[in-house]
Amino acid sequence: MRVLLSWLRDFVDISEPPEEVAEALTMAGMAVDTVTEHDGETVFDLDITANRPDALNHIGIAREIGAIYRRPLRLPATDVPEADPPAAERASIEIADPELCPRYAARVALGIDVKPAPEWMRRRLELCNIRGINNLADLTNYVLLEMGHPTHAFDLDLLEESKIIVRRAKAEESLRTLDGVERTLSSDHLVIADAGRPVALAGVMGGVETEISDSTRNVLFESAWFQPGSIRRTSRHFGMHTEASHRFERGADIEAPIWAADRIAHLLGRVSPGTILRGVLDAYPNVVNRPPIRLRRSSIPRLLGTEIPDRDVEGILAALGVEISAHEWGWELKPPARRLDLEREIDALEEIARVYGYDRFPSRLPESASGVTRAPFAEEEARLRSIARSLGYHETVSYSFISSEEAQRYGAWDAVRLKNPISEQWDVMRNTAVPSMLQALEHNLNRKEPSPRLVEIGRLYRRQGDSYVEPPVLTLGATGDARPAALGERTRPFDFFELKADVTALVEPFDFEALAFDPQGAPSYYAPGRSARLLGDGNVLGCLGELDPLLARERKIRQPVFVAELFLGSLQEVGLRRRQHRALPRVPAVDRDFSLLVPEGISFAEICAAIGQQAHLVKLEPAELFRGSQVPAGRYGLLLRASWQKPMESLTDEQVNVYASQIVARLSKKLGIEQRA
Amino acid sequence: MSIEEKTSQKLPELLAAGKSVDGLYAELCSVFDQEHQAASSPEQVKGLRDRWLGRKNGLLAAANNHWLKAAPGELKPQVGRLQNETRKRLEAALEQAAKALEISPQAGEGIDVTLPGPPRAIGATHPVRLVEERVQSIFHGLGYSVAEGPEIETYYHNFEALNFPADHPAVDEMDTIFVADRVLLRTHTSPIQIRVMEQQKPPLRYQVYGKVYRHDTPDSTHSPMFHQMEGFAVDEKITFCDLKGTLDYFLKEFFGSDIKLRFRPSFFPFTEPSAEVDISCIFCAGRGCRICKQTGFIELLGCGMIDPAVFHHVGYDAERYSGFAFGVGLDRIAMLTYDINDIQLLFQGDVRFLRQFR
Repeated sequence: MRVLLSWLRDFVDISEPPEEVAEALTMAGMAVDTVTEHDGETVFDLDITANRPDALNHIGIAREIGAIYRRPLRLPATDVPEADPPAAERASIEIADPELCPRYAARVALGIDVKPAPEWMRRRLELCNIRGINNLADLTNYVLLEMGHPTHAFDLDLLEESKIIVRRAKAEESLRTLDGVERTLSSDHLVIADAGRPVALAGVMGGVETEISDSTRNVLFESAWFQPGSIRRTSRHFGMHTEASHRFERGADIEAPIWAADRIAHLLGRVSPGTILRGVLDAYPNVVNRPPIRLRRSSIPRLLGTEIPDRDVEGILAALGVEISAHEWGWELKPPARRLDLEREIDALEEIARVYGYDRFPSRLPESASGVTRAPFAEEEARLRSIARSLGYHETVSYSFISSEEAQRYGAWDAVRLKNPISEQWDVMRNTAVPSMLQALEHNLNRKEPSPRLVEIGRLYRRQGDSYVEPPVLTLGATGDARPAALGERTRPFDFFELKADVTALVEPFDFEALAFDPQGAPSYYAPGRSARLLGDGNVLGCLGELDPLLARERKIRQPVFVAELFLGSLQEVGLRRRQHRALPRVPAVDRDFSLLVPEGISFAEICAAIGQQAHLVKLEPAELFRGSQVPAGRYGLLLRASWQKPMESLTDEQVNVYASQIVARLSKKLGIEQRA
Repeated sequence: MSIEEKTSQKLPELLAAGKSVDGLYAELCSVFDQEHQAASSPEQVKGLRDRWLGRKNGLLAAANNHWLKAAPGELKPQVGRLQNETRKRLEAALEQAAKALEISPQAGEGIDVTLPGPPRAIGATHPVRLVEERVQSIFHGLGYSVAEGPEIETYYHNFEALNFPADHPAVDEMDTIFVADRVLLRTHTSPIQIRVMEQQKPPLRYQVYGKVYRHDTPDSTHSPMFHQMEGFAVDEKITFCDLKGTLDYFLKEFFGSDIKLRFRPSFFPFTEPSAEVDISCIFCAGRGCRICKQTGFIELLGCGMIDPAVFHHVGYDAERYSGFAFGVGLDRIAMLTYDINDIQLLFQGDVRFLRQFR
């Protein structure tokens, strides 16, 4: 909102430099964004918070300056030279809906010339970014900017039966508003009507049919008060935001209508001679009386933390127009009607604090409370993050929105749909983090980063009956080289086993007995045969594998892309393994290699299972795999290395021989695996 | 005559040809010294050792055989001493050379230390997370526990219980994304205040981190999703001065003790009195620059004393308890701290960007 320094000076003495005034206003809660010079005028641009409609005008700001510097406010003249007949003989007002329109006042003027407004008035309006129209419209705008109350001028001769009826619109009624748009109305909308039809959208905009024109001679000036919620619903419904609706929906001053009508009548003589009829028409069926506020002196230190002298408390409140009566315990306050935000003790405290100056309150720390609880999964998450980092994954964050198509393709459940999405590509809350991960990988590939590694820890969203759940998931994305190229070393492509190793490293600190990779059961967007479901003691912890190459190609990605998803809810249930030291072995382990011929189709996991438990067996690892001419058809060669260890003493050759032959026997019996000659 | 030829001739013949015993051993040593100096790799040193000290075919062995053994009786002691001294000298020199080579390679035969080592892949922490970790540790130090809450939130928790009046423009300013009639994506982390207070009685000291959503089209300064941190304290005797002191401590801890704070009165439905907090511009130290739009200050967070109406919603006695709350955009702090000029960079997963935060 633009405010002119010279206009403010009509109402309060200001001798300070403009920048200083701007700073003082800002520090009292009237944020001055800029101070500029226009055509020799100092213009403040203010950002007024939604709770202070009373400050959306020059007098409102002048009053704030008066309160800050404790200077008196000069209100403008409102004396009106009136003439008979009484206005009531020329026009009438009826409020049919006193709930939505508690007050409607009007003045009537006859014999007016419609012409351009005088130069001084047009200049002030233009400096405030209001376009000049004609003397009457400009007059209502001038009063709006001056004292804040929205008013409207009707061509009295075009009001059927010279009647104003404030009522809800009837179904099928319509109104062409001043912006030229035909509005179809309903009973949700409050209108100003004459005897026959709506002539204005109450508190929002007037109608074309009763608009002031060059031929207008007689005028009715409306000065009313409308219920904020109703104005807001109407202006929102029609997508109209006007100077009037902006103020009415925030709450105007119910005691201002007469004042505003009189101020208009007073100024009318300066814009066009004419006759102002005697009296203000004022329909105000139920006078609003707000209960007083009890402000206890003890509440000031209790909530604000410091004492404030009585004379400052009283001086500030009085300058803001609050009627004060002092008591032993404090003050009884009667706030002005324009201050709808002032109704409780805390509201009064805020007024005192902000005008007194926030910077005058000392800073101190509250007395400390008890111990601290961390987020429920904080330690686990921190561990996962640090492992992912050390494996070379950069942490990313992606938007929670995806498209319903992606949700259907990659998600395991129906996605939560948004009612007013940002765009079609973002119309649901993600039920999978895979599409966002693919998007990020693609983003990198398109920027000549051929080997991105990304990790995201975030939530998925799911409707569950009447409520929603937000299961956390860790997603890995990888493609390109397994390791960055180095001098004299050949790189090799990232593959399933790299991913599996990373995933294993991530879940290793969690408290499982057994981790298994089930070749079946990964969702269909994974490449079959190169993907797995991760099981911890039989519970599904996640999935991992190569993305279906067809899906990669759809994104124009020609290299294999790998994704892993870890369901953190399952890991959360398991929790971290307790860190515990075990005595170091005194003697090293003993190894034996077995050169095996394994029938094709038997997996390494099956071989390990067939060997099963054995005393002192600590490790089974595949040392070499080979296929080809030296291996009979239908079999593959496996060099299996077994390690045994007895922590405190050496194993004898005889003992190891017994274990080794046990392994050979079990493999042969259970899986038909032979030792190579 | 080469040294090989000399050592394969018998001493008397050499003496007859006019050589002296001293001269022969001196020559031996001088040839060795030359070769020794030229040896610069472990292989060469080993070759030298074989050539000179080889048990059977070494030059010293030859000297032993042809000179010492053939020496006339009266010369034996002299030749024996020289033979011995020379052996010791050579052994010492070769051992020294071998050790030196083992410890540090010689110039010319060494490595180019200016070549890069193989790249190490270390992942980076997301800048917003970096900020979160720092803020969290500051508030842990002040005794604040961590609370969490849903991103898909009820209208009640996001607005009503926080004293947003129905049909009030303050709700519009939040540009809400809705899921259903009374269900929405939280527009701030403040609903967690309500959720915590519904569950617990004072004293409370809580910090909250999470994603929040607004109906904004993404550009360099707007994002429909961003991160907020919320802190709140409720207890007997919590005052506005405690709020000021807490934020003063936090922001100076985070941005450095030389910053200045400015508390400007503002309006939030769920706090009263409310304030916006500015810090003196960390780029120009308050002198005025592009980042602070020449104002010398940067708008950072919103705060205030928790409105009694909020306590009313959760059944707290506002006559007994008071509290404060504040909320701050973590993305904004990250952008200020790391000089990031486009908020969208935070959500693209561009490794060229992320790598910078290792």
